[in-house]
Amino acid sequence: MQNIPFTLAISGMVLAKDVARTDNPGGPPVCGKGLILTDQMIDRLKNMGIQSITVEGHPIRMDGDNSLEEMLAGLDRRFKKAEGDPLTMKLKMIHKKQIIKSMGD
Amino acid sequence: MEDKRREVRHIVRNVKSLPTIPGIMAKLNSIAEDEKATVNEIARLISSDQILSAKVLKLVNSPFYGFSRRVSTISNALILLGVNVVKSLILSSSIFELMEKNVVGLWEHSMGAGVAANVIARRLNLPEPEEISTAALIHDIGKVIIKIELKEEFGNLISLIKEKDMSMREAERELLDTDHAEIGDWLAKSWLLPEKLIEPIAFHHDVEKSLTQPTKTSAVHLADILVKASGFGFSGDDFVPKIHPAAWAKLGLTEELLEGIVGEVEEKLVEVKNFSIEVQSTDDTQA
Repeated sequence: MQNIPFTLAISGMVLAKDVARTDNPGGPPVCGKGLILTDQMIDRLKNMGIQSITVEGHPIRMDGDNSLEEMLAGLDRRFKKAEGDPLTMKLKMIHKKQIIKSMGD
Repeated sequence: MEDKRREVRHIVRNVKSLPTIPGIMAKLNSIAEDEKATVNEIARLISSDQILSAKVLKLVNSPFYGFSRRVSTISNALILLGVNVVKSLILSSSIFELMEKNVVGLWEHSMGAGVAANVIARRLNLPEPEEISTAALIHDIGKVIIKIELKEEFGNLISLIKEKDMSMREAERELLDTDHAEIGDWLAKSWLLPEKLIEPIAFHHDVEKSLTQPTKTSAVHLADILVKASGFGFSGDDFVPKIHPAAWAKLGLTEELLEGIVGEVEEKLVEVKNFSIEVQSTDDTQA
């Protein structure tokens, strides 16, 4: 699954998480998980001020996340100066796990 | 080298020419010190400058405070955030606007750090979460001063970072004999910001030196690291600084807590990106 800015939502994407109103995040969802987005629905959510949604798969290629390998190489580069530092490596492992998870399902 | 540091300090002392200290601040300082001044009186004073009010409300409504409802008036902002935070936003709004137009990567990094600090403060139940977010938002103001006031040096810094694969801070130390944290400290002091905001700016890389605000400094230190770990925005270099053991201990972090924080920060950063795209496209339309 991938969390994307709502401005990048297009019809055909499948919601991987419920969408709640921004002015009532804890309230009942306005669209449920599993729903396939249509242009009409995108307009409606846009009018509600929805900022981001989580969709199935990894449909949007953001800057630098072209492939799993490239994302992991980017992670290695970013953590280069902290290699071997036990606390910072814990953070790196958390990110590695999340990247693999986000690209894997 | 000491001469270079003195020269930079002199430049920082004279940045009063930048649109960073609006005339309203002197009035606001005197009225805010008066214990009898009501929120409405302070709100009326700020609201008398409409452009300034708009800038402040834009920051208050950006994703880093995470208010679920839109804050549409200065008096609401004062009630929600407190006089000190609003004062800091007034001071930083102009410099933040300069950042938004000139250094988008640093602007995104700062917004991201504000959001991350908010998640850290909330999840770890830290006191005064809004002050922590605000401190994180302005923790790199020193870099803005370098970029705007020391243009030639800024170019040299970028070359050095590329050539020697250095971090921004390493390059600053080598070329300027000071760094953005110290420059931010000078600026924050000249603005008379409260200690709660000065220490996190001055010591976000040297947590152990923060004697009066170690919790806030630790939170800002971690927020900066989390945003860099995500590869979000650009603060001058790509490198993730090491997590300081003193910050880990002060915040009472565990791997499980950190994992929860990282997960939420990642989701929130998407909102920041969205906000950034929106702001940039609005500016393009207005340009």
